[in-house]
Amino acid sequence: MWSLTIQVVLVVIMIEIIQQFFASTVMQETLPSALFIAVVSSSISVMVLAHRLSFLTVGVSHASLAGLGLAVTFSLPLLPTATAFCVGIALLLASLPKKQGITEDTGTGLLFAGSMALGIILMSRASRNEVDLFGLLFGNILTVTNSEWHWLLFIGTVIMVVFIWMARAWWSIAFDATTALASGLPVAALNLCLYGTVGLAVVMCVKLAGIVLTTGLMVLPATCAWFWGRSLMSLWIMSMLIALTATMLGLFISYTYDWPSGATIVLTLCMIFMISWGATWRTQQHRR
Amino acid sequence: MNSNVICLSHISFGSKKRPILDDISFTLKPGHFMGIIGPNGAGKSTILTVMTGLIQPSHGRVDLFDTCLTRFNRHQLLKKVGYLHQLHNAEPHMPLTVRDVVAMGLSQYARPLWQRMGKASQHQAAIEKALKHVDMLDFMPHDFRYLSGGQRQRVRLARALVRQPQLLLLDEPSAALDSQQQQNLYLLLRKLCDEQKMTIIMVEHDIAAITGHVDSVACLNRSIHHHAMKGEQIPEDVWHQMYGEHIHVVAHDTSCIGCHHD
Repeated sequence: MWSLTIQVVLVVIMIEIIQQFFASTVMQETLPSALFIAVVSSSISVMVLAHRLSFLTVGVSHASLAGLGLAVTFSLPLLPTATAFCVGIALLLASLPKKQGITEDTGTGLLFAGSMALGIILMSRASRNEVDLFGLLFGNILTVTNSEWHWLLFIGTVIMVVFIWMARAWWSIAFDATTALASGLPVAALNLCLYGTVGLAVVMCVKLAGIVLTTGLMVLPATCAWFWGRSLMSLWIMSMLIALTATMLGLFISYTYDWPSGATIVLTLCMIFMISWGATWRTQQHRR
Repeated sequence: MNSNVICLSHISFGSKKRPILDDISFTLKPGHFMGIIGPNGAGKSTILTVMTGLIQPSHGRVDLFDTCLTRFNRHQLLKKVGYLHQLHNAEPHMPLTVRDVVAMGLSQYARPLWQRMGKASQHQAAIEKALKHVDMLDFMPHDFRYLSGGQRQRVRLARALVRQPQLLLLDEPSAALDSQQQQNLYLLLRKLCDEQKMTIIMVEHDIAAITGHVDSVACLNRSIHHHAMKGEQIPEDVWHQMYGEHIHVVAHDTSCIGCHHD
């Protein structure tokens, strides 16, 4: 009898909290942009995993610091400048002289440190109230201004259109680039598009999760889906569902306990990863 | 039917001093099955990549279906070419079913997601036919990552066949196949040449295994030393030119004990 009462009370409290969560103005403003970013980043994360670009996302997200530093120094619009800079860095990495032994991870490490150094110097020159350094490093989705939201909407739409357009070609290149080239696909151009798109997606994620945590959003959704999916389509859909769930849950937890939003979302994704791993561990053992 | 499928004229590749390929010319008609043999580093794989336009030759030209292969028309011309390359060292890391791998061989595969791949039933039939050719139809829904090396090789071959090419370029297709599957493969290729008038160029290192099936054999070591038609003996000095003086040529005939004769 008592336990039933306690359960009812708990459920009522939960409903109350969830209602508060959806009713709060902060969340009403945050949720659409966070969910939109989740859809975009989880779609691209499938390609990040297929092409093994997770280190590229680390490099490009750190390069955004230099982009923002430039924007602050020359008083340019923040997000567009960062976007242009990140895409530029990503394209530069795509066109590295791989034949001469400068491989992708070497190049990423180089540009990552270089642009980070540039960013730190530029930022140190800027006055404190111009730059929200903490928000930049660890993300701050709660303060999306109207113009920023429009900008996010614009690049997010571009990313999704390019993704849907080229997904199968990218998928085929990731599986076997030589055969894709021999069957007549313009592999070099498609790769350039992929790097540029990943660069764009990174900029979006930096707004939500910050420089340090962006890779989490760009890698984890598809990594979780990797355990379950069997094809490009199923991976894509699962990756999106996982990212949407984690974003909702993460924001809810961060709202309830007053935790930082970006970090909570990434931690939720990590939890889903551990659960997926655990759940498929036995079947993997069986298969091998 | 008098048109040429492929015509190489005076192809050279590499530096003048140490060319990888030197002045190679040949022409093949529909339904011809050619084997290319030669020692390691003879340029066997290079010549196939030249034919697919993956690398530009330093000199000479490649004509596919009586059209000169250029950077601008290779997309169009290669739709009728199937190619199986030799680099299969990379472990596949993506979740893919065998069906998806074969579907990648269709030229419609890379279309945007909002377009369906043409008539789905037609593609399904092509995929099933290609897998049936390599005896892998039962594995269609399986995960490609959990197949054995030989099974993967057969699926890759199906991917090259699925677009029903008029020209099939194979780089050591029998690698990772057991001898039974190897025989099946050669019989299949012979059948494709005879029945569908497919032209096949196959690089192999084991000449004894292929002589019974091919129409001609090209002995390649930077240049083509000899282009032997079926039934023709390859002169001993050609062997020495190709492999050096330390080889001992043994002529096989029906009385040879170590050989199988079907």
